[in-house]
Order: sequence, then C-alpha cells, then structure tokens
Amino acid sequence: MTATVTSPRRTPRPPRGRPRLRTAYRQDMALINTPAKRRSTVLLVLAAFGVPFFFTDDLLLVFTLGLIASVGAIGLNLVTGYAGQVSLGHAFFLGLGAYTAAVLGGDPEGRLIGYGMPMWVWLPAAGIVAAIAGLIVGPIAVRLRGLYLAIVTLGLVFLGEHVFREARTLTGGPGVGRRGPDLELFGIRFSEGGSLFGLGLSRDQQQFFLALVFLIVFAILGRNIARSGVGRAFSAVRDRDVAAAVIGINLTVYKVMAFAMSSFFAGVAGAMYYAVVGVFEPAAFGLLLSIQYLAMVLIGGVATISGSIMGAMFITALPRIAQEIAHLFPVISTSTVGGGIINVFQFEAILYGLLIIGFLIFEPRGLYGIWMRIRNYWKGWPFSY
Amino acid sequence: MNERQENATARTTLPLRIRERARTSPSTVAMREKNLGIWDQITWEDYWEQATLVGHGLLSLGVEPGDRVGVHSENRCEWLFSDIGITAVRAVTVGLYPTNPAAEVLHVLRDSGTSVLIAEDQEQLDKALEIIDELPELRHLVYIEPRGIAGRYTDPRLLSWTELLERGAEHRDAHPGAVDARAEQAQDDDIATLVYTSGTTGPPKGAMLTIANIEFVIETLAQHGAFVDPPANDKDLIVSYLPLCHVAERVFTTWFNAAVGTQVNFAESIETVQVALREVQPTIVFGVPRIWEKIAAGVHIRMSGASRLKKLNFGLWMKVSQWIGRRLVENDGNHTLATRLAYAAGWVFLYRPLRERLGLGKARYAASGAAPIAPEVLEFFMGIGVPMHEVYGMTENSAIATANRAGRIKVGTVGEPQESAEVRLDPETGEILTRHAGTFAGYWNNPEATARTITEDGWLRTGDVGEWVDGTHLKITDRIKDIIITAGGKNISPSEIENSLKSSPYIKEAIVIGDRRKYLTALIGIELDTVGDWAQRRKLAFTTYRDLSQKPEVIELVQEVVEATNTKFASVETIKRFRLMPKELDHEQGELTATQKIKRPAITRQFAEEIADMYDEEVRA
Repeated sequence: MTATVTSPRRTPRPPRGRPRLRTAYRQDMALINTPAKRRSTVLLVLAAFGVPFFFTDDLLLVFTLGLIASVGAIGLNLVTGYAGQVSLGHAFFLGLGAYTAAVLGGDPEGRLIGYGMPMWVWLPAAGIVAAIAGLIVGPIAVRLRGLYLAIVTLGLVFLGEHVFREARTLTGGPGVGRRGPDLELFGIRFSEGGSLFGLGLSRDQQQFFLALVFLIVFAILGRNIARSGVGRAFSAVRDRDVAAAVIGINLTVYKVMAFAMSSFFAGVAGAMYYAVVGVFEPAAFGLLLSIQYLAMVLIGGVATISGSIMGAMFITALPRIAQEIAHLFPVISTSTVGGGIINVFQFEAILYGLLIIGFLIFEPRGLYGIWMRIRNYWKGWPFSY
Repeated sequence: MNERQENATARTTLPLRIRERARTSPSTVAMREKNLGIWDQITWEDYWEQATLVGHGLLSLGVEPGDRVGVHSENRCEWLFSDIGITAVRAVTVGLYPTNPAAEVLHVLRDSGTSVLIAEDQEQLDKALEIIDELPELRHLVYIEPRGIAGRYTDPRLLSWTELLERGAEHRDAHPGAVDARAEQAQDDDIATLVYTSGTTGPPKGAMLTIANIEFVIETLAQHGAFVDPPANDKDLIVSYLPLCHVAERVFTTWFNAAVGTQVNFAESIETVQVALREVQPTIVFGVPRIWEKIAAGVHIRMSGASRLKKLNFGLWMKVSQWIGRRLVENDGNHTLATRLAYAAGWVFLYRPLRERLGLGKARYAASGAAPIAPEVLEFFMGIGVPMHEVYGMTENSAIATANRAGRIKVGTVGEPQESAEVRLDPETGEILTRHAGTFAGYWNNPEATARTITEDGWLRTGDVGEWVDGTHLKITDRIKDIIITAGGKNISPSEIENSLKSSPYIKEAIVIGDRRKYLTALIGIELDTVGDWAQRRKLAFTTYRDLSQKPEVIELVQEVVEATNTKFASVETIKRFRLMPKELDHEQGELTATQKIKRPAITRQFAEEIADMYDEEVRA
C-alpha cells in the first residue's frame, strides 16, 4: 500500500455482527477473539464453579490437585512447549516453591524452622524464589540445546533431591517430611470446613474454589504471555533459534526469561499443591515428578494453555482411574502384598508408559489435538475442509 | 433525456454528493480496504480529501474539462479516489480492464484520446509503455504501486501516486478551492465516463455516460428502492470485486456508495475475494452468472470430499431446499407456511452455516446480471435462502432496464421494467427497446454506431431478442446476432441450451452451433477444478487440461450431461454431437472478452476443424 490516508485520530468502529472483519491487529490477537469462544468460556467457567456441588469430597480433592498441577503444567509448557527448551528439572522448581512456602508459612513454634507468615506473603515468595533459581539455571540453556539441556536439567533434580534430603531443619528429612503452610486468605481458613458467602461448605469444596480461582488467574497470565510479543519470541526460538536471532530476538534474554517464568509458575504451583496435600517429604521431588509433568504437557498438548490444563487434570486423576480399572479386573491386585499378577501401582506405571507412547505415536498434539479435531469438524460444517 | 436537462441547476453530481457526506458525516466509514490482514477504514472525510488531491493534481497536470483520464487498475480505493477526482475536475473517466492485453489497451487509449493514465502497478504500466509511441496524446502516466518502478523507470512522463497527491497539495495551496469551483460548474450533459463495451463482435466501443445518466440511475435504484427493499442505506455492506470499468460494478460500488452511503469493501486481491466475502458478510451482493455458477459448483466439489455424515446432512437438506426453491419459483419468490417451516429446520442444519461460509449469511439482496444465468443456479441460491434476483440492463442504458422485485420473482425472466423506464419489443424482430433518461449519449467518436443504436425518437436498440411472460415480466431469448436458424428454418436460441449445459458443475463453457445446419452441435469446455477433482476421485491420472479433456471417461461424463440437457428441449433443439475444446478459453488470445463473454466468430474460426468434423461425419455416413 502506498499513501492511504488514515491520519492518527479516532478510528470508526467496525460493523456489527462480523467478528471476522478485523480492523486492527489487536482484535486478531485478543484473548477471546470470537463470539463462540466468549460464549463457551463463560459456560465453562460457570460449569467449573458448579462442580463442587455435584461431586463427592474425595473426587473433589483429586480435581483440586489437578487444578493446581495445571498451573505447574502451564509453567512447564511455557519453557518446553512454547520456547522449546526441554526441561527435566521441573520437580526441582516445584520443590523449591513448596519448601519456601512451608518455611515462610510454617508454624513458628514447631519442630522445624517456620515463620508463620500469611498466604499473601508465602505464595508470591515461593514463586519468586523458584524464579530466581530459574534465572540462575537459564543461562545454561543458552549454551546447550536438546538432549544436552535435558541431561543438565536432569542433574538439577538430583542436586535438588539431595539438598532437600539433607536440609533437615527445613524439610524434615526423608521419611519424616513436614507440613505445608496453612491456606488462609482474607480471613477464610480453606483448610477447614465452614461457611463461605452464606453457604455451608466442606473443606474440599472450599479448597476447590480456591484452586479454581488460582488456576484462572495463572491460566490468563500464561495465555497473555503466550499471545504477546514475548510468547511469539518464544515460538520463534523454538522453531529455529538461529533464525530467531537473525530477526532480532535476543536468545539469551528470552531463554532466561522462559526459564524464570516457567519456574515462577512451578514455584507457586508447588506451594499450593503441598499446602492442600498436607504432609510431604523430600522424596516427592524426584525424577518421577518431572516426568509426570512432562507427561501432562505431552498428553495435554504442547504449546497450548488449555492442553496443559487437560493434561494435568488427566494425569492427576490417573491413580484414581487406575484404581477404578483395577476393581474391574481381578488380575490387578489393589494392594501391594500378594494376589493378582500385578498390583495397582505397577499398573499405574504401565499406564503412564502406554499413554505417553500412545500419544506420541497417534496423537502428537495431545488431548488438545483431539479437541481441535472435534472443534474443526463442527467449525467446518457443512464442509469438511 | 432532453426533457430532463432543463432543471440542470438543481442537480447534484457524484463529487458534490461525496463532498456533502464528508461535511455531514466526516468520520463515518465510506470504504474499507484489506491490507496486510487488516481492514483499513476510510472515512468520508478521507475519501473527499484524497479525491480533491487527485483533482488538484490533475489540474496541475493541465487537465481541462472534457479531457479523458484513464484508470487501469484492480478494484481498490484509489480507483474511487481517481474516479471522483477526475469527475470533480469535469474530466472523463476511462476504465480499463486489468486483464486487457496491450493490444486492447492501445485500442482504448487511442480511441478515447486519453491524456493521463493512472495505472495500478508495473504490470499495467508496462502494457501502456509498450505502446506509448503510438499514443501521442498520452502526456502523463501515474502509477499507484511503486514496486519495480521507482528508481528503475526513467520516462519523464511517469509520476507516482504520492507525487500526484503532493502536486495536488501544492496546487491546492496555490489555488485553494479550484477543484470545488470546477466541480460546481458541472453540467448535466458533461460526459462523466466512457465505458468501453466488451465487444463480442468487433473492437470495443466507448459508451458515453453523462452526469444526467448517472443521476438518473441513482434516483431510480438507490432512492426509489427499485432494487432493494428497504432501500439501500449506509448500514449496507458491499464487496467490490468485479471490474470497476464495467457499468454494473460501477453502479454497485461507486454510485450506490455516493448516493446512499453503502460501505464498500475491497479485498486484498482478486484471489482473496472468497475470504473477503466471508469476513465482510455483505448485505448486497452483485455477481455475474459465472461467479454464481462457480460458487454453486464449489459447494458441490467441497461436499464430495466431506465426511459421510456431512454428505448425508447436505444431501437431505439440499433435497428440501430444492423443494423450497421450486415452491418459491412457483410462488414468485414468496414463502408459504410450509416452506417457511422447512426452511427454519434446514437453517439449523445446513442453510445458516452454508450461507455463512459462502459469505452470504447476511445477504438481503443478491443479484445476477450482465449475462443470462441458468434457472437451476438461481433455484440453488433461493433454496438456501439467498434472496436472488435476476436483473437486466446494459452499458448503453446505464444498466437500467428491468429487474425482478422481491416477492414478484419469475425465474427465467429478467423481471419487470424499472419504474422510470419504458421497455417495449420491436414488433417485427422482437428486439427489446428501452427509453429513459439513462440512455447513453452515444458512442465516443462513432456517430454511425450511435445512429444504429439509438432510434430517432430516443429508443435504444439493445440487440437482445425477448418476449413478455404473463404480460409483466420480460424474458430474454438471446442476442439478436446469436439466434440460430437451422437448415430446417427453425429459430433456436442457443444461450438457453448453453446455460442449461453450464448449470452442470463440470461444464465451464458451451457453444451451440447450428446456424444453417441440419442439426445442432456443441463445443464444450470442461471446468478444470471439478472435472479434475472428479477424475482424481476415480483414480484417473491426467497431466494437462488437454489430456483431461481427451479422456474417454470425461467424454462419457459430458455425454451424460448433454443427454440430460437434451431431455429438456424439443427434438430439433437437441445436441446431436459435441466436441470437447482442448484448451481453456482465454481473454489474452481473443477468445473471450474482458467480461468473459465468448467471441463467437473467433471461436468458430479457431475450432473450424472440430466443427467441420461434427458435420462431416454425418455427410459421409
């Protein structure tokens, strides 16, 4: 285009009822850019707030943990999915967040170090401490790529596990562990049942609401990072770092930024998760946890926020699913001792493996890919393409 | 038109209308143009500003009233800025088809004596530069897109669009109000534009349309609501995609816009019109039959690749829609309770999403004109709920003759005469004659042709043969020159048979032959997209168009279409033999006009062998 007008002044409004007619790029990259998305988002959020009234408390706890794990998965997806930096060290950042929160929010009169600080201090602090760790680790990613980076971050997990095990005054040590911080915000004690907004709610219902709001805040944050210039820079780095550098993206800055952001998400998720769980010990932050989070990202969908949530919900619910299946097949024993060919924990591990292999082969875009296919089927109606 | 000239002073013109809009609603959107994925909005204020600058620029180049200024561009906002700027300084706009080859550009520029040419880009500019030595009157060439030109072309006559506007701004500083003054002096019989007819038989002729002609069209169409009910207004959206040098698109784009403020939308390029339609969802859509046929055929191709459930859904609701379409046709386009209920059900499952996908979701008025269309195509669109109307008009009567009105539609006819138009048939030949204030002022530099076309008492000979249906609706039989008289002395209208053939998605072109022959034959051109798709699904390998059209399976496929068509006509009107044309017809090679109309003489010459073959065999047998 040559000299087409448009002096800088009030732009007339685009015509009504034509969501595809974009008069500014801002509309194209809006958080919710179609009316259909707006409607379904509102419905989904309303439905999510209705969940606690239709499920039993033991299932609610599974959902609550799933919602919190989603935040961690979004964090991993930022660094691994969007920015393409494979990280096996996620468990370390989760642990760092969990212990920061436990120490800052822990009982000051207890056996272990605790400062009894309120939630609005320990939750952000957990994120910040993890993010600082991320900042320190980040520069390694500038030098290393792919498999090498994965191995280095793997090392981080072992380092972390060792430190957590040995710092007994902070973590309680192996086999003993310590309590997570108390969930208390605006005078509401989420770890006890009680009435909230005039509704008599159980502990699990209250925690579910807290986790839901927590997830909504961080999901929007994650989505905003992904759709902004930073997110686009991440994708450019992932697709070809040399090309990204050529178009003016500072690789060092963005790779470090990806690790820091990801770690922040991991830190706050770790803090919340173990606050809900209650007692936890250093062995929880081993390689298996990192792999679980990678599985969430892979099964949910790489480089998607909604996929991270789907994956996290699914993986957290997997033990429960394995148990339900075990009830159906007598060959799977429900206890660790005797009976059956395999026990339920072995079965769960096998299920993990099968799911990861299955998704990588048949549905590389994860649960999100399945959703996309369903959506496109209806979006294309009445055509197929 | 003479009786209308007396009240010349009370008249307004297109530039004055736009100036008025720029004054009363400066920040309302006049047009949009899609650039780099975003629809840039251009307000009335911007529109008038740009047009004035063009006007001043032309004044600085020494353009005098009555001078011809050419515009050779795809549809874009600069086309409108130029058109209005040119008219404002009382010069004459000469539109050229972007597809015109250099030879035709030469003809038009030389015939019109164009002194300034506004060319879109390097491609169009090169056409003019190739022949510039034969055009002594062409003094200046303005190019809109500088890519490939700036810094490489050194011709002193060249001027970029920005330079033109800069000159305009300087001229305005030196002579403020010069364009306004010139625009206000406009007379009713000023020639506003030369519209070159497509010329199926000879070289294109420049039809002179005056300011009075344009004002008549605006009064008839836009203000009295002869086309649309309620009348078109500033809430209506239009996608401008047909060539603006054709009178029909000029009516729908420039004149509607100036008259009632409809918002014009320009796609990024001609290839992205489908996407643009979907984004804009225009309320008023004008198309030529070829466009409607292609959309309908496109739906069928895409459906053939759809999943089973979708096919089933489509099949079911298309059956219903055919029934609705037929009922509507029987009922002059009015719904009955039964069709309304059927439509409501189908709306949920097929019609709404289908129309939305085609960009016709919000269409409240769709029209087909400029060439005859097969009733099947009209029924298809009416069936899925697009209010489709066939209209009739031509350059020489400023596109005003007859139109089907909402609720009084007769498919197969071109509708009833417009309110302010007189239409009658020549009692001897059956030729359609029209008379109204929109009748053109004559052909440029061609008094003989003018005399042949306009009778002494002001009737325009359209060159079309027609008949009345039920005394109210006009049905066009054919072009008077194209009527076939067989050796048996029977008069046959080829276009009816051709359109019936073309309503098949597999057939793009059909030319019926049989003048002074024993029986009818046809040259048929297949539609590469659909037949290619069909062949692929049958695992039929092919390389080129020529290869595909020679496959026995394809010939068989076309045979079926021909046979199906034959059952609809009397036995003298059936196609006995046909040949497939081994190439796609092309404007560049002189087989089609710029508006994709067939030049019969050229075709019969080019395919003389095939034609002889179709008759010779019979002789031998």
